Amino acid sequence: MERNKHVGIGFRKDFAEEFLEGKDLTPAFLEVAPENWMEIGGYWKKVFNKIAAQYPIYTHGLSLSIGTPDELDWDFLKKVKYFLNEHNVQIYSEHLSYSKCDNAHLYDLLPIPFRWDAVKHISQRIKSVQDFLERKIAIEIVSYYTPVAAEMSEVEFISSIVKEADCNLLLDVNNIYVNAFNHNYDSKEFIEKLPLDKVEYIHMAGHEQVAPDLIIDTHGEPIIDPVYELFEFTAHKLPKTVPVLLERDFNIPELNELQYELNRLENICTKAWDYEHSLA
Amino acid sequence: MNTHLHNYTHTQQSRLADYCRTGDPPKIDGLTENRVHHYRRLIHGVIDDTLQSAFPLTCDLLSQEEWYGVVDAFLSNYKCQSTSIWKMPSEFYRFVEETGLEIKEKYIFLEDLLNFEWTEVEIYMMPDIAYPESKTDGGWLSEVIAVNPEYKILQLNYPVHLKNPKGITENDRGEYYVLLFREKESGKVRFMNLSVYFSWLIEKVEIENTPLIKILKEAAQVFGVNEKALFENTLPFLEELKANKFIPGFYI
Repeated sequence: MERNKHVGIGFRKDFAEEFLEGKDLTPAFLEVAPENWMEIGGYWKKVFNKIAAQYPIYTHGLSLSIGTPDELDWDFLKKVKYFLNEHNVQIYSEHLSYSKCDNAHLYDLLPIPFRWDAVKHISQRIKSVQDFLERKIAIEIVSYYTPVAAEMSEVEFISSIVKEADCNLLLDVNNIYVNAFNHNYDSKEFIEKLPLDKVEYIHMAGHEQVAPDLIIDTHGEPIIDPVYELFEFTAHKLPKTVPVLLERDFNIPELNELQYELNRLENICTKAWDYEHSLA
Repeated sequence: MNTHLHNYTHTQQSRLADYCRTGDPPKIDGLTENRVHHYRRLIHGVIDDTLQSAFPLTCDLLSQEEWYGVVDAFLSNYKCQSTSIWKMPSEFYRFVEETGLEIKEKYIFLEDLLNFEWTEVEIYMMPDIAYPESKTDGGWLSEVIAVNPEYKILQLNYPVHLKNPKGITENDRGEYYVLLFREKESGKVRFMNLSVYFSWLIEKVEIENTPLIKILKEAAQVFGVNEKALFENTLPFLEELKANKFIPGFYI
């Protein structure tokens, strides 16, 4: 089967064989967390080398903790840089959150206070990381369930960081949907206010509603129709084509269901980008 | 240190992180209080899943209450340093080893069990180590034996590698050695129970790069056995290691 043009998927060990065969799933690229694949050997290193030779590899980091008050971890960054270069990685993205604080890793994404001093602090850190890695990074707008000591709006916080750090944006459309629902704002208005010319990468995923007023970003369910619609809206607003990732980390369905989601996303991309650009 | 972040912002972030680790009620401005518990729940879930995956025997041994108790103590009291989450279980093992937990009195072999389970993960995942250049055939006594460099020998007080942990008692206390190594082709981890002599021998063979005959002379002195008897005893063991692909052959 022919590979997708725009839409990739997160690499899962469970499907390593299928990815290598390239029959049941046809992603345009695969995404991995560098932390899970650097400094390893043995069976999975061999598999990863084959995968990296066969697919473009994009990365989505977990442990940079760009929003932490702690110092940057330069040893970690050296390993990331080596990994990115070793596998000719095209995109390195990370979360606009913090996962380490007071010298303890937490392995999940905590919300950063939307504050001006945090904007300055994080922008400086992103610049340092970009200088060190000799590439721009794409920061992801994360889903969050509570604000923390906010003094500015979320969109102002994000836009200010992207501008000041001169970095790229990873637009997780599901996260915008989740945040708009959880914090009662209009997702389309939010997207229109973002620096869309900086969007380098899009993530799409499913979620779970756990209370009448709360959705958790689980990556464990299929993408719902309103999120597809929001993606279509976003795709038409973007000034350029960007890669799109289907995220599915839990409650993994049959491969044909994942391929259905890949195809549905690909169709939206084709309609929004290939057709429009051919007219331009 | 950073020059931009104010103490106030830092404090709010620290309080949230601290709450997630300890569960102590957070005093954070602007918080949606009935939602913040999801962060602690999610973090606890990630840590728990990772530890269950790394320590299936330990998790099966402990009651649910005991398991959650020790996981919670770890999350609350230990500052994890691993940037790669698959390495985090080594810190859990270290925490149990260094902390006076009551559960270690009930499960006297708990440290050994965690050590054994973690080492299996570690060997499976460790970066590749170059094998020595070797040939398949050679003389056991006269040539230098090449060994698989991707291995570790553990010294244990309880036979967690030999018995179901639920059946291990104080009567089992002793001196046990276990070789864990990664097969080159499959990447699978295998383990073998060793005597103290074979444990000593493997390390000598790897470190000293010397023909076996010289090592046997030293062994005869160390263990007080004559060389011929030692060789007769050692040869089947070496053949077994070769059949198990721990010994690829002889140095070229």
